[in-house]
Amino acid sequence: MDSLQALFPLLTVVAGALLIMLLEVIFKRENKTYLAFVSLVTLILSGYFAGQSWNKDLSYFNGHLTLDNVALLFSLILIIATIFVTLISMKYLTLHNTNHGEYYALLLLALSGMIIMVSSQDMLVIFLGLEVLSMSSYALAGLKRDDPKSTEASLKYFLLGSFASAFLVYGLALLYGAAGSIKIPAIITSFQSGDTIGPMAYAGLGLVIIGLGFKIAVIPFHMWTPDVYQGAPTPITAFFSIGPKAVGFAVLFRLLFPYWKVAMNDELVHSVLWVIAVLTMVIANLIALRQTNVKRILAYSSIAHAGYLLVAVLAQDTSSLLFYFVVYLFMNIGAFAALIAMGNHDEEYHELEDFAGIGFKYPWIGATFAIFLFSLAGLPPTGGFLAKFYVFSAAVREGLIALVIIGVLASLISVYYYLRIIVYMYMREPSREISVYLENPALFLVLFLCLYGVLQLGIFPGNVLIIIRQAVSSIPFL
Amino acid sequence: MNVPILSIVTFLPFAGAILLIFVNKDRTTLLKYIALLLTLITFVISLALYFNFDAQTADAQFVEKGSWIGYGINYHIGIDGISLFLIILTTFLMPITILSSWKYIDKRIKEYLIFMLILETGIIGVFVSLNLFLFYVFWEAMLIPMYFLIGIWGGKRKIYATFKFVLFTMFGSLLMLVAIFFLYSTYYKATGIYSFNIFDLYKLVLNPQIQIWLFLAFALAFAIKVPMFPFHTWLPDAHVQAPTAGSVILAAVLLKMGTYGFLRFAIPMFPDALQKFLPYLGVLCIIGIIYGGLMALIQKDIKSLVAYSSVSHMGLIMLAVFAMNFEGIQGALYQMLNHGLSTGALFLCVGILYERAHTRLIKDFGGVSKQMPVFAAFFLICLLSSVGLPGLNGFVGEIMCLFGIFKANQVWAILGVTTVIIAAAYLLWMFQRVMHGPITNEKVRSFPDMNKREILYLIPIIIMMFWMGVYPQTFLRKMDASVDNLIKVVEKKKTLFIEAKKETIVLPDTVMAKDKSKDQDKDKEDKI
Repeated sequence: MDSLQALFPLLTVVAGALLIMLLEVIFKRENKTYLAFVSLVTLILSGYFAGQSWNKDLSYFNGHLTLDNVALLFSLILIIATIFVTLISMKYLTLHNTNHGEYYALLLLALSGMIIMVSSQDMLVIFLGLEVLSMSSYALAGLKRDDPKSTEASLKYFLLGSFASAFLVYGLALLYGAAGSIKIPAIITSFQSGDTIGPMAYAGLGLVIIGLGFKIAVIPFHMWTPDVYQGAPTPITAFFSIGPKAVGFAVLFRLLFPYWKVAMNDELVHSVLWVIAVLTMVIANLIALRQTNVKRILAYSSIAHAGYLLVAVLAQDTSSLLFYFVVYLFMNIGAFAALIAMGNHDEEYHELEDFAGIGFKYPWIGATFAIFLFSLAGLPPTGGFLAKFYVFSAAVREGLIALVIIGVLASLISVYYYLRIIVYMYMREPSREISVYLENPALFLVLFLCLYGVLQLGIFPGNVLIIIRQAVSSIPFL
Repeated sequence: MNVPILSIVTFLPFAGAILLIFVNKDRTTLLKYIALLLTLITFVISLALYFNFDAQTADAQFVEKGSWIGYGINYHIGIDGISLFLIILTTFLMPITILSSWKYIDKRIKEYLIFMLILETGIIGVFVSLNLFLFYVFWEAMLIPMYFLIGIWGGKRKIYATFKFVLFTMFGSLLMLVAIFFLYSTYYKATGIYSFNIFDLYKLVLNPQIQIWLFLAFALAFAIKVPMFPFHTWLPDAHVQAPTAGSVILAAVLLKMGTYGFLRFAIPMFPDALQKFLPYLGVLCIIGIIYGGLMALIQKDIKSLVAYSSVSHMGLIMLAVFAMNFEGIQGALYQMLNHGLSTGALFLCVGILYERAHTRLIKDFGGVSKQMPVFAAFFLICLLSSVGLPGLNGFVGEIMCLFGIFKANQVWAILGVTTVIIAAAYLLWMFQRVMHGPITNEKVRSFPDMNKREILYLIPIIIMMFWMGVYPQTFLRKMDASVDNLIKVVEKKKTLFIEAKKETIVLPDTVMAKDKSKDQDKDKEDKI
């Protein structure tokens, strides 16, 4: 149905971003916390509009923007992620002297780019969204202006990101040449009618996958990830670990699932992604073993999780992919929130050594972080287990047994480094005294919500699963 | 039966753990009493399972079924003659281990008790689950409290030991998870119904090639847990480093999860594959028996001696399971309980010594019996129970196991019987060096004898040792029907399999034992 209502979630976010920039200029107040509240109101409103459009299949701009249920689900995941990131940023920015008004505006703009990406069927519009997201991300990564690492992160992200964008555009051009259209359904139809898929189309698909692979940080397109994640302000790292991944997978889902439906005997794309998934799961987990900085461990862990998500893509199982994202949202943001809790004025305690004895000194931070790590490692009864369970079970059903065996063994490797953090928290004596800044109610709210989410999704995921199945069943090409 | 006894037994300890979170950590005595009381109540309730257990049927009893996540994942629990005593063993030992750590654990007692209670729920959950998914959740979740128990309250190399324990176990169980997925999708493809219900999965008669792989995956997970040679290397480390209570639970119950897994899953689901691997498995068991015994003989540390004796004893139990006849399997089940009691008691005795001497090396002791005559008596009884002296429980179990093994394969029996001889050698030699002879270490002179608390927690075990040694009927008759049924299932599947011309088939409902509730309509809801 063509309706202006389809634009509401997006418009709200953009309006919020512009409003924040205006307020910043008009009031010029030292304390920028009020901007966070403006941002939160915007986000909640946007989430409300997204919820209103549920099951309505709205579209606008002649179908360039279609809010089907999967798009809405991705948008909601991203909106919730942004709410969490805003909450964990509030004290962090004052503590680390990065309290710039444009922070929240950039965050909202990045979100708007992501909403565009997940709710479009037109590759060119998707590219537009990607650029909006990327530009805001580059700025966000470098927001700690006096920290050379942050600047380095920003520059690295910018250079490699532009490179990846170029790949994507080139791929689009080739696809356009091969299919005569830039809209995904038309591209798929052209594959269907043609007898064989020509080299030009393959090259186009390949380049698009490379461009997206960069965004979702899979090996071998991951080089930027650890440095950017480590250098960026920690809440932004949390944001990067969810947002770009979610949109990357959303686009892969829109492009590849229908493609595989028509190209029944396509082996090439499938095997390329198979190799990428294996490399990502195995190598990322192996490298993470050697890290001593917890932020970097989480960076590699997020690369590895992209590998598990690729397994869901290869199994062509939308519901397990979506469920994984919902769980990943809670456990990863939770883990980063716990990481942010480990800080004080101008200091962040992110080395493994700093975590020694934290479990008993700050029992709540320790216990919640431990539960997030167990969830990331995929141990029951947490959501992480159920997420992996669904992904791998779907893959076995599709006969990808070798991939699943590699996947579970890779996740066995990951158990080691997740547990290593817990070893430091509970089983080592502290080598130096650390005191963390505790007056941070917003952060603890996020910790609590994520904890609730991880446990709820691990033990009683019923409602979420129903929503996801509803979303999936409404998609025509599945 | 309207009271969900089984759920109460399973989750009462967990509820207790939640309760303990809200108690001030400085009120250590209160914490300990709450934990003790809860485990005792759990034990008393679990006795109701025994008294209401119907020994005539092999069907699952005390069944509770509720929808949970859907797509075959249901809350479905129940027990039969195989799991009944393992649950009671767990609930019986739990208050004892808590009493044994009364003084031993002097730091972070609150967290310790919380993990112990969570561990109890995890273990019982493994034994009661009739849904493969639920089983796996408990099987893995149980690792978390054990990981902390060894890692926080363990000895010098605790971190190494706890990592080894977790990674070994997970390696096996993750591969088993893949096999579980495969079974799940095979059942779905064959019937159009999603099910993790083990009674449904029993009905699958799989093609032998597939069976081999699935059996290997399941068997690996369970063999690591048992542990069978050559997957035993985590055990001595974990045992030596764990606190006393951890060792007791590890030896008495956790290892039984492996044997239980064979009896519950690997054997009835993949009988043909089992048949193929029997010779190799038998050899591994025999190597385990002899190797474990010889290793025990040369240990310098009492605790690792007992740990290796576990390897040897578990080898005999597995060998009896692989005899695949009534005597063997019943003997194995009985011996599992015996091993739980006697090895548990030995670890408690070692713990008592360690609390006094702060060492476990055999050479640091000598002449202890002069200082601690009461302890000497208790220690000797536990030791003889482990050796298999007639009149004590170990004898009955071992003789039944050996009967079964002899019936199946005489060479196995001849080699397997060495366990008795070697066990007598290493245990009695250790006893002699520790308890008798002149006092070489002056510290020994200051050892007080057992106090009331220590006597209190060893007495029940000693009583059970005599009871099980003198009148095993109390226990065996409750197992008969289930053991009989297990063997019938295996035989039935083998013959059916030949008729089915080597294709995967699903047996009709009538062939197999199932759970008593018979609410088949619930399964229908899962049909998509």
